[in-house]
Amino acid sequence: MAEREPELDIKFENVNNQVLGTLWKPPFIFWLVIGLLFLAFFYGLVAWGYLVATGMGSTRLRPPSVMWGIFLSNFIFFIGLAHSGTLISAILYLFRAKFRTSINRMAEAMTMICIALAGTYPLIHLGRSWLIYWILPYPNQRQIWPDFVSPLIFDVLAVSTYFTVSLIFFYTGLVPDLAVVRDRTRGPFRKVYGYFAMGWTGSARQWHHYGTSYLLLAGLATALVISVHTVVSWDFALPIQPGWHSTIFPPYFVAGAIHSGVAMVLTLLIPMRRLFRIENIVTTRTLELLAETTILMAGILGYSYLTEHFMAWYSKNVFEEQIFKFRVLGYYGWIYWMVVLCAVIAPMSFFVRKVRTSPVPLFIISIIINIGMWWERFVIVIQSLSQNYLPFQWGFYWPGWIELAWTLATFCFLFAVFMLFAKYLPSIPISEVKKESGMPMEKGGPYRAE
Amino acid sequence: MQNDGALLATFLHVDTFLACLKKLKDEKHRIIEAFSPVRLPEMQEILTPKPSLTRMFTLAGGIIGATGIVSLAIYAHVSFRLIVYGKPVIAWVPWVLVAFEGMVLFASLFAFVAWVFKAGLPQASIDPGYSAALSGHTFGILVSSADTDTRQLEEFLRKNGAAEVSHVAT
Repeated sequence: MAEREPELDIKFENVNNQVLGTLWKPPFIFWLVIGLLFLAFFYGLVAWGYLVATGMGSTRLRPPSVMWGIFLSNFIFFIGLAHSGTLISAILYLFRAKFRTSINRMAEAMTMICIALAGTYPLIHLGRSWLIYWILPYPNQRQIWPDFVSPLIFDVLAVSTYFTVSLIFFYTGLVPDLAVVRDRTRGPFRKVYGYFAMGWTGSARQWHHYGTSYLLLAGLATALVISVHTVVSWDFALPIQPGWHSTIFPPYFVAGAIHSGVAMVLTLLIPMRRLFRIENIVTTRTLELLAETTILMAGILGYSYLTEHFMAWYSKNVFEEQIFKFRVLGYYGWIYWMVVLCAVIAPMSFFVRKVRTSPVPLFIISIIINIGMWWERFVIVIQSLSQNYLPFQWGFYWPGWIELAWTLATFCFLFAVFMLFAKYLPSIPISEVKKESGMPMEKGGPYRAE
Repeated sequence: MQNDGALLATFLHVDTFLACLKKLKDEKHRIIEAFSPVRLPEMQEILTPKPSLTRMFTLAGGIIGATGIVSLAIYAHVSFRLIVYGKPVIAWVPWVLVAFEGMVLFASLFAFVAWVFKAGLPQASIDPGYSAALSGHTFGILVSSADTDTRQLEEFLRKNGAAEVSHVAT
């Protein structure tokens, strides 16, 4: 049997130099790409401005048929992407999975950006986005409060809590590393890093309280990550809409979220690993373990699809049966089959070791999975709404330029901000990599912390 | 010879650092601080054996968050008694979720604030004796030399594996 690669291949004393090397002076093309990505983002802002000026009628949303278009499918997609960050950071931390060490910071950064982007979609969908504060828990002039039993208020609470907790978790993990950067930077940047490092020195007292809190935050974030996508799924599962009203939705949504999130981590990680020459920190073994996670998630997702169809048939509910027949054979049927192919069948290629240990096939398949998972959300939201109980509600939806512009803008914003993150913050958690790198001992051999 | 200062001993090896720390503690020297670029559970066992109080703050935050947000929900629904979705005005079952979100939010905020303040952060001036090397790959012990012979203490530290010993004004 071939020997497996280690999860980390770096010496303790080299960690600072190599990780700080990623905060490099980028070539001109880096700034050019960021400029182009922001240009696309501004195109999206223009589209949003046009929408505000002209009203929701300028989209292709047409009540009573499809009143939630790709604005809502993008919301689920981005919340889903955000999940893998917390999965890798918090859940794998609690399970002491060492392969998370080299990738958790990047996954957390992706989480932060994706939650912020996800939040923009319901904001647009409000139509009058400037009235967003109406959903906050405070009374209006007629002493009417938001309804605390509405899944939409659950959503507001869950997503805002998720953003806050993810930010706290991200920043807490970053503090010791900011001190490392502060100690090795000169000029105004030293002040900025020093300000956010808060005077961290790595003293026993600091590590003591830090360690306890980090563990507690990991535990809280783990519970939260499961709850958030469960709550998002209730936006769909609680109404009596055929195709949505199902008890399978919470686990199905959580699995889908982790699946797309892990795929996006691979998509971002593989080029970054190559660009920064950090193959010894983010090893092929780490990628392989992520690919194995993907196989599991694809399996759960495939099983969920089958269960949905089985329950529609077994329930003998005419509306459920009709919507699932329409799903596989209707005018959106090609999308459903593409989802099955991209999100369930394509990841099965990772059963072949050569595929899951080669960065290029991994990268390509991770993109295919993400394409599949984006369309999966399209199927859930749009296909289900396009054939409701009564034929007068039936219709066809295809996104217009406004929906597509903002979708493009958010993807470009994700990539641009991720590139800026990699430029200005240590994308590899320095202190955690040091801990796993085997600290030197006088009597020889590496020290392994408990 | 006695003074009011301290000695900073730096170590290149983790095992000698931990052994020296334990010896200093056993011999009842006043250890002002120990520095490590990574979190070492053994270091904490020697210097800070009591569990961190941040746990209690987190628990308090969780309780405050859960009860606070449910109280708000009760107040909101009682002040406008409208039956929606067929749920009672005081709808305990859906509020389990509301309580959960409030609990996690406030527990996390309290955990963060607690660790920051219990760790003595944010601090405008960095701990005496701290140097950039200590966030690199060296470990450090800052030990008071006020009640002991500095030369003897320096010798003790070097004998126990310190790569460098320097005088620090505290």
